[in-house]
This record gives sequence, structure tokens and C-alpha cells, in this order.
Amino acid sequence: MYTGPAGSAKLAEQIHDYNVHVDRNDVFWMIPVRHDAVEVDFDASRARLRVRGLDVFDDHDLANSLTQGLGLPTTPPIPGVFPVRAKVSFDVEWDGALATAQIENSSQHFKGSFLRTGATISWSAEQSGFRFQSDTPPDPKANLVSVLGHEQNGVFFFT
Amino acid sequence: MNKPGPFSWNRLQDKWLSRRNLIRGAAGTALGAGLLRPKLVYASDDDGDAEHPACIGPNPIPGGVTGLKPFGIFIHHNPLSPTTAIADISDPSQITDFDGFVGLTHIRGGGTGTDLATGATTRLAFQADMGFSQGKFIGTDGRQHRGTFAFV
Repeated sequence: MYTGPAGSAKLAEQIHDYNVHVDRNDVFWMIPVRHDAVEVDFDASRARLRVRGLDVFDDHDLANSLTQGLGLPTTPPIPGVFPVRAKVSFDVEWDGALATAQIENSSQHFKGSFLRTGATISWSAEQSGFRFQSDTPPDPKANLVSVLGHEQNGVFFFT
Repeated sequence: MNKPGPFSWNRLQDKWLSRRNLIRGAAGTALGAGLLRPKLVYASDDDGDAEHPACIGPNPIPGGVTGLKPFGIFIHHNPLSPTTAIADISDPSQITDFDGFVGLTHIRGGGTGTDLATGATTRLAFQADMGFSQGKFIGTDGRQHRGTFAFV
């Protein structure tokens, strides 16, 4: 979240960064959710992710998220910030194929069918003393790039 | 994985680990082990065997990007770029040994922040890099599971 105008995302203007942290196995920002939190109709180029009241951390900014609260010695420096608890709710929709591709990438060991799609998000956050609500209805033009895929990677690349 | 750069990565790493331990210690003392991360749940054995139903996570993709250059912090994630053709994308999944559906977004928009003490509101911008993975995966236990994960 940034103090600049809608559509901006400058690190120096960031005041909240919500994520679930990297897990002990180095998986980046992934958290198990209920199976029914995700609905996919790949043939119709649609998917939806809905989660309410997910426990996350507010690391203040991406630099503190990636350095686990150490900040960065940039100019000007980004001071270290201790993470605080927060809850987020979100409803993300992928809808409408803009481009499609069949990929078989033997260097990264992934393959599958991929769609570039339209997408919207409605989300909110709440923590001690602060609440945020994204604009509703969500603006489809806010989508910079979104992708849906049906893929196999790692050991499943070879099957 | 991460090479020393203009900024001493080793020094950052030493400090990082010290800080990480401090955070873990403080978190454990104040709020219990649950502060650092919600527990792994919901992933189930593919064959319905409930013997190992919890704390089974996936493994990260081997690739990814180095964020916050030149500080060299490697993350197992390939961010989407609006200028990359769909046929040229890197693996959009964060987990490896995975067979299923994956979604990623890169959305920038606006909203309203509210100071709950004063009621004052402020227009704010956001960037949401979010997504999901749903399907089967080989977990850290070497067994096949099914799971649904949000990328947050």
C-alpha cells in the first residue's frame, strides 16, 4: 500500500506490505487455504480466489518483508520495521482470455496451457488502529497482467 | 545461491539471522509459535490417508528472481511482467513437483485507509501480486498430496 496516487507503487512511498512470509522450506508467500477458496473453470477462462480474515503480517514495505525487518541501506535508507499482525480478505477474479499459449519449457521444467486474462480484485485489510478497503466495484483497467495456467512442473514435467 | 555484491551479503545475512532469531524469540515469548506463520493445514494425502494430514508443505520452484538489486535477495517466484508475451513467461507457480491450476495477478489500484482512532480517511494506492495453486504436489515428505494454496 502506497501514499502515492492510485496506480503508483514506489518503494519509498510504501506504508503497508501484507504477506504470509516465506515458509521454513523457502516457499514464497504461499499459504494453504480451504479447497473451496478457489474455483477454476479453465475452459471458460475463469477463476476466483476468495478468502476472508486471513492472518498475515504487515511488514510495512517490500524491503522489510524480504529482509525480515532489517530494512535496506539505500539512499535514503529504509529503516528496519518489526512486522505486526493483520487480517486481510480478498476476492480475486480472472476472467476472459486475452492471449493463450502452450508452453513446454525444458530449462525450467514446466509445461502446460496458459492464458493471459483480465482480472479484478476487491480486498480489505484490518490491523490495530487501521483499516483499508479497496475501491468498489473494482476497476478492470487496474489489471496490469494476469495469468491462468494448467501446468505440470518438477517431476510432473516428465510425465 | 546469493553472491556477495556491492553491499556485503554475508554481513546482511549474519545480521538477518540474528534479527530473525530475535524475532522468533520475542514472538515465541509474547504470543506463541503461531505468530510467525499460520500452521500448514488443509493439504491432504492424495489417497485420503489421514496419517499425515497436517504440516505437509510443498517445495519451492528451483528458479526465481533476485529482488531488491543490488542487494541480492533471492526469491522462488517469477513476477509477471506486462511486457512479456504469454508464450515467454517463466513458471508462474511458486511450488515445484506440481500438477494443477495456477493463477497470478499483478494489479494496481486505489482505495481508502481509515485511522480507527480518529476516523480520518486517506486515499491510498495498492499493488496486488496475488494468486493461487490448486492441484497435486509432492510434499516435503516425498509423498503425493492434494492442496489449495493462496499466494499472498
